[in-house]
Amino acid sequence: MLNSTILSYITFVYFGAFFFYLCMMIMGKSAFGKVATLFCLIGFVGQALAIGLRWYESYKLGIGHAPFSNMYESLIFFSWTIILLYLIIEWRTKNKTLGVFVSPLAFLALAYASFSPSINSRIQPLVPALKSNWLISHVITCFFGYAAFGISFGLSLMYLIKRMGGDRPQNAFLKLLPTAGILDDLNYQVVVIGFLMLTLGIITGSVWAHSAWGSYWSWDPKETWSLITWLVYALVLHSRMVRGWRGKRMAFLCIVGFCCVLFTYFGVNYLAGLHSYAKS
Amino acid sequence: MNNDTKKPNILWRSFRSVRLTIVLLILIAIASVLGTFIPQREEALEFAHRLDPDTLRLFHALGLFDMYHSAWFRILVGLLALNLVICSIDRFPGAWRRFSARPRPDRSKVFHDIPEDQRLEVITSSESVLETVRTIIASKYKRVTKKTSPPATFFYAEKGRFSHFGVYIVHLSVLIIIVGALIGSFYGFEAYVNILEGEKVGSAMIRGRMLPVALGFSVRCDDFSVSFYDNGTPKEYRSDLTFFENGKKVKSAVVRVNHPAKFRGIIFYQSSYGTIPGDSAMIRLVRRASKPEVRSVNAGSNKEIPLPHGEGTFVVLEIKDNFMNMGPAVLIKVKPKQGDQIRFWVFQHHERISRQFPGIFDRFPKLNPSAFKPYTFLLEGIESKYYTGLQVSKDPGVPVVWAGFFLIVAGLFITFFTSHRRLWIKVLQQDGKSEISVAGMANKNPVGLEREIHELLGELKASLGERKNA
Repeated sequence: MLNSTILSYITFVYFGAFFFYLCMMIMGKSAFGKVATLFCLIGFVGQALAIGLRWYESYKLGIGHAPFSNMYESLIFFSWTIILLYLIIEWRTKNKTLGVFVSPLAFLALAYASFSPSINSRIQPLVPALKSNWLISHVITCFFGYAAFGISFGLSLMYLIKRMGGDRPQNAFLKLLPTAGILDDLNYQVVVIGFLMLTLGIITGSVWAHSAWGSYWSWDPKETWSLITWLVYALVLHSRMVRGWRGKRMAFLCIVGFCCVLFTYFGVNYLAGLHSYAKS
Repeated sequence: MNNDTKKPNILWRSFRSVRLTIVLLILIAIASVLGTFIPQREEALEFAHRLDPDTLRLFHALGLFDMYHSAWFRILVGLLALNLVICSIDRFPGAWRRFSARPRPDRSKVFHDIPEDQRLEVITSSESVLETVRTIIASKYKRVTKKTSPPATFFYAEKGRFSHFGVYIVHLSVLIIIVGALIGSFYGFEAYVNILEGEKVGSAMIRGRMLPVALGFSVRCDDFSVSFYDNGTPKEYRSDLTFFENGKKVKSAVVRVNHPAKFRGIIFYQSSYGTIPGDSAMIRLVRRASKPEVRSVNAGSNKEIPLPHGEGTFVVLEIKDNFMNMGPAVLIKVKPKQGDQIRFWVFQHHERISRQFPGIFDRFPKLNPSAFKPYTFLLEGIESKYYTGLQVSKDPGVPVVWAGFFLIVAGLFITFFTSHRRLWIKVLQQDGKSEISVAGMANKNPVGLEREIHELLGELKASLGERKNA
């Protein structure tokens, strides 16, 4: 189908973005950064169109539904939300260095979706359990949460790298990174967005489960792992707001948090559970 | 001063610590991880068989096969709830003080180290300056107080005082959700029931405990249907139910996945389905003669059916969906007009069986479908009957949990996106000049406050005109 062909090309656009961000960081030339942002924008718009097209194509097949119903579609949406949040942050902070850490996530998600043999890119009809108005709000809130945590992961890596470089770094890469204080603050703000979105995602999922599975909470592995992720980020927020943990500890916790996100997203598929339609 | 408030007892002190919160959050997270790797409840049985007896005993004693309902997991959640309550009680008075504090407008300390760009000088000392300052502040801040002590005039403005309560709303909602869950576990149940099409039941089985629970009314499955997409994946499961009370029809409802039906506080969900062999079979009669004749009949059990040419009658005695491991079969009794009755089995997969076991039908007359000449009986199929598998739940805690969900979102918004902003503005009027200084404080988001102060100064500049300092 046309949409998945376009999406597989966009994988390379995001790789291009990553490449030029890297050039900017290594050579310290801002022109590369501008090219990289352009690549991101092209990828973002193209991907938005492809998602819309996929939606339209599903209606033409007579099985119309929002493109949020399986692993392929979720990966596509995940990489798109990451780039969306990244572009907003780049625009607000006027700093492109985060791009080198975040664009690989979008690239990898899209590459996995487009080129993994275990992932089916065909548009499939909705199984009865997914035929619900909650599908769209549940998927959108969850994936904005995941994307925010992905960006927080990037910021945490940046923070740790910046700190390793010492106070007066010599190489261009370290010099270009924002100060540790700015990274720490930004990370906190992104975690707040992610936490709010994850909370909404769990709530919409729970209300949906109440009408689909007969219980708002059944300790299904995906439910449980989303709760674990929620607890980890609740811990991040409490340790920061009440106990004043910042800096390295905060960065480590956010990395642990993102590992939980990844397990909630991918790892859970290896455990038995009710969310089985998200596997392939 | 009361001593108790100064030095609370050790229990109180340990429960008000956020360190305990952190430890509990980590413990609950780790326990939850365990529960996703150890098969729980219905899935636990197969896993338990593979464990050696000692491990099995240990796992069982620790409740690891139903971990989320075990005593120790509940104790952990209970401790977290207690910790939450005590932390909140401990900190609430502080938040209340910050909420209700009315600081003096004429504080001088706040102006000591404000940056130079938070000051503004205008070359007039008229009263109208004060009025302009007041209107501009009032357009952004609701509560403005003024104090005059010549030659200076002070304004104090604040907004977003409720910001201090956001976190308490979040904590309260977590408690509300826990209470809702408790109500559900005490006064609710989760059960299931399979109902054959056309049958009526008055009770369901509690999940995991195999105890029946009386519904207080009865429910009949009028029809069950499943439809498929072209590619074979299921499209819709649907049960048509009718509810009866005291033998009288009260309500009809359709249950589909994602669309449960509610009756007297009990909710019915489409959960599974299955089939059992029904009580009728499609039988084809082949009469061997000069002109072969074929006729299909739908034979219900124990209903006498005349043979087409009046040779007698036959009856389907038994219907098996898997007879002798050779698939569907029916036991037929033929009553001829004269002579003895004959009984024999007729298999649906006759061809396949005769290929697998050559000669079997000739050797055993009981299995020979041509035992009554000149007829050969063929089984075309057994009509199967659907049953619908319904989840039957009652949970009076649900509205409480929903209220908790609503509040937690509201609380998080207040906590993260509002801040208590306080402004002190001093207007010093002497020698035909007015010097305006703006100082601000916020409990959160200092950057946002700074931005607002600069906006405010910009507006003041625009309406008053600035005197450029040389």
